[in-house]
Amino acid sequence: MSRLFDFAGGAGMGYSQPETLLSKNKVSLPPNLIRKALPRWPRLSEPEMVRHYTWLSRRNFGIDTGFYPLGSCTMKHNPRVNEVIAQLPGIADIHPHQPEHHLQGLLSIYHEMQHMLAICSGMDDVTLQPVAGAQGEFTAVRCVQEYFRNRGETQRTKVIVPDSAHGTNPASAAMAGYDIVEIPSLENGRIDLEALKAVVDDTVALMMITNPNTLGLFETDVPEASDIVHAAGGQMYYDGANFNAILGRTSPGLMGFDAVHFNLHKTFSQPHGGGGPGSGPIGVKSHLAEFLPSPVVKKRPIVGDEAKFAVDDMWYTWYEPKHTIGKVQQWHGNAGAIIRCWAYYRRYGYGLKDMSEHAVLNANYLRHALHREAEKAGVSHMFVDGAEAEVAKHEFTLSLQPAKESVGVSAMDVAKGLLDMGYMAPTVYFPLVVPECMMFEPTETESRDTLDTFAKDFAQVLKVDAETLHEAPITTPVRRVDEVYAARNLCLKHPFDEE
Amino acid sequence: MVDQLPNRGLETEMLKEMGFSSIDDLFSDLPEHVRMSEPLPLPPPQSEEEIIADARRLLGANLAMGEAVSFLGAGIYRNYVPSSVFQLITRGEFLTSYTPYQPEVSQGMLQAMWEFQTLISELVGLPIANLSLYDGSTAAAEALTCAVRVHTRKATQANTVYISELVPPDRMSVMHNYCQGAGITLKVLKHNADGTLDIDSVQSAAGSCGVYVEQPNPLGILDGGLTQIKEIIGDNTALIVGVQPVSLGLVEAPGNYGADIVVGEGQPFGSPPTGGGPIYGIFACSKPYLRLMPGRIVGRSIDVDGKEAYCLTLSTREQHIRRHRATSNICTNETLIALMGAMHMSLLGPEGLEHLAYRNMTACVLAKQKLSEINGISVPHVSSSHFNEFVIELPRSAADCLKYLDSVGIIGGFDLNRWYAGRTNWLLVSVTDQTKAAEIELLAAHLAMWCSMKEVIA
Repeated sequence: MSRLFDFAGGAGMGYSQPETLLSKNKVSLPPNLIRKALPRWPRLSEPEMVRHYTWLSRRNFGIDTGFYPLGSCTMKHNPRVNEVIAQLPGIADIHPHQPEHHLQGLLSIYHEMQHMLAICSGMDDVTLQPVAGAQGEFTAVRCVQEYFRNRGETQRTKVIVPDSAHGTNPASAAMAGYDIVEIPSLENGRIDLEALKAVVDDTVALMMITNPNTLGLFETDVPEASDIVHAAGGQMYYDGANFNAILGRTSPGLMGFDAVHFNLHKTFSQPHGGGGPGSGPIGVKSHLAEFLPSPVVKKRPIVGDEAKFAVDDMWYTWYEPKHTIGKVQQWHGNAGAIIRCWAYYRRYGYGLKDMSEHAVLNANYLRHALHREAEKAGVSHMFVDGAEAEVAKHEFTLSLQPAKESVGVSAMDVAKGLLDMGYMAPTVYFPLVVPECMMFEPTETESRDTLDTFAKDFAQVLKVDAETLHEAPITTPVRRVDEVYAARNLCLKHPFDEE
Repeated sequence: MVDQLPNRGLETEMLKEMGFSSIDDLFSDLPEHVRMSEPLPLPPPQSEEEIIADARRLLGANLAMGEAVSFLGAGIYRNYVPSSVFQLITRGEFLTSYTPYQPEVSQGMLQAMWEFQTLISELVGLPIANLSLYDGSTAAAEALTCAVRVHTRKATQANTVYISELVPPDRMSVMHNYCQGAGITLKVLKHNADGTLDIDSVQSAAGSCGVYVEQPNPLGILDGGLTQIKEIIGDNTALIVGVQPVSLGLVEAPGNYGADIVVGEGQPFGSPPTGGGPIYGIFACSKPYLRLMPGRIVGRSIDVDGKEAYCLTLSTREQHIRRHRATSNICTNETLIALMGAMHMSLLGPEGLEHLAYRNMTACVLAKQKLSEINGISVPHVSSSHFNEFVIELPRSAADCLKYLDSVGIIGGFDLNRWYAGRTNWLLVSVTDQTKAAEIELLAAHLAMWCSMKEVIA
């Protein structure tokens, strides 16, 4: 083990700093604000620090390490040129409060991204301010809320969410103050239009849907659902978590949605960094545009001596929407993430459609290969499709319920077995509507060879006897971690000498 | 041509194996009337070389602070991040991983975040820290809703929190957006003419759910009076303190003067300014807030062999389990940037932190001294201790002054009229450990020049 708090070297040995501009005794503090004891931080030299974090990194699994079919998270390759661009001083060393004429390059990229996202989604206006998908949801819900308040429709206090939705949907709507009405899905995770009709009335503000849904199936009834909700005066929200499946083939606008968020870190490949950062812009139809967070970027012709700062023949300027909800993040969103996603988008241009097509091609191929290899290995009775469908979109589910019932092997056991084979496990136990669920999302950046090999290895895992599989993983840095122990014996920081 | 698709050219074969004849078959489930009939009206794909050339041209048109002389702060600060941080963060195992749902293959990030929690906990003087929120403003906003969840039942002023009136409008706006859904009323605490908190006005906050103040405050003032707040408001009202974390190398940890929750912009540790994002919000608290706090937390545990191991814990607070009853909707956070912060803090060590804080404060002392000597300029809060920034009052508008300074290559600071209507002549001047003595001299010289002008030239 390498433990950070075991390093107790000399003072200031990590990196040397310049001297202070004045003697330290020129500094005065109110006596009661003088810090009495410095934090018990470790003391380590650069070589030790580099080795510690390199050691840690080797105990972590990323896309670069191997196949990462984590459903719903779109773990595609992160092109490295994007990282190089994000370190340029023109993005790394700029301040959000700098005047517009210092930031024309940034603003023009923001404008280009707003425009591109509007085109891809069939929306009229876009803000890049929300910094994660969940924050995008919250932002859109707030815009809809103010839209209705502005119209005097304050009786709309409910948001409808299917039970197969991501947890962030109900959480975001509840944070904005809405009552959540959860409607059951049909067996294959699809919207139950009858259940929807039963709850829609003039107290409904919004319905939130993911399409393709969380089982990876395209919800063909979404246009009808839109009609039902709109007829009662409500709004339709598109959760863009699964946008990677449909780009250039259809759009939320065509499906009848009023607002949408994008998980730029998924669809446009901002590295997920062990849990973040992300970027969660939203797009809206024109009736919601003046409620967007402030500011958004607009452009106008150049005036006077602006030409010397301009990047083209237009001037890019911050605009405050008339009825803006204000700010959801204090600055201009995750600018560094947006730059990376801009570089990613530029790589595809109109070819974004190819990206989605290959994502769907790979998902369907993997689904096919998993069945094929299971058949060959004689383990095809161990699982069934999570949902009946001729084609999946960018992800799909399997149910390991047959394995559970016949030999006592759970989805979790199989997941841990896959870790031993050198893979990240698919998402397990989500969505809840599929028993013993495993959710696979290969993304478009995996080769056919990888998919074939994975399918063979998956079948091999299913051939392992239950007792052995219960013991998996055995090749990983640690074996199964006791989460109950962690919760019962809370140890949330280094205990120092209290240990 | 697009170059990120390993199966380009294999489409037909793969489709054939599945029994399909074209890609269109894979989209046969899309109803006719929702299909996009035209290609996306976007430009053609670019090569890496073309993209990087465009990026250099466009981002090169921005004025990086390092290319000018900058005194702009007001929440985001120029800093120095050691080279090893940037090198290590590009390790693909960190960069390209995601939320550690499978702890057995995520021990690296989990342990690093547990260590981050410890670094923050030690820094602010509270036992618990999460592994980041989006930024300082969302951390502050989530602290308010957390305080209300914990205290509103016993509060005589239910659903009410008090905020320092100095809090910048943009940050206040985030707070409003996060609080309005829960029906939380935001009331303001007054300040004295010298920029310190009006302690008498704190009396009115007793019985509410929480008090939010900042140390240093938005005018850069280190306010000794804040140490009295906890005694006034008592145990049933949360004291929430927003900090600039570098200041805590010299300034008492808020946990040691009664803070229940400490939040702040983590950016000075580990992250360049980056236009304001991605950065990370610090959130730390005391035990009574633990089970109602937002965000992810790592716990130390054991594996089946009894070996030290780490995993996410207390997840039942979170949206993926608790859905609409979750303490927050946050899922993706800023872990990677927090990791950069942890690396930076590790290299600093306690004495490095103290020295860094001294560098910031001595630069501030020097700047304050130089600027206060200029004819026509006064420093309204001259007798206070400042960290990173202070106000100067100009003979004419700060907006005009900034235009002049800009014309000579100086980003002069922040026009406080944008925060506090009517303060047209107040300029917030920020200095950090990156400010050089010669830059302060240059600013002083140009301010003196501008003050001596009868009319605005710029």
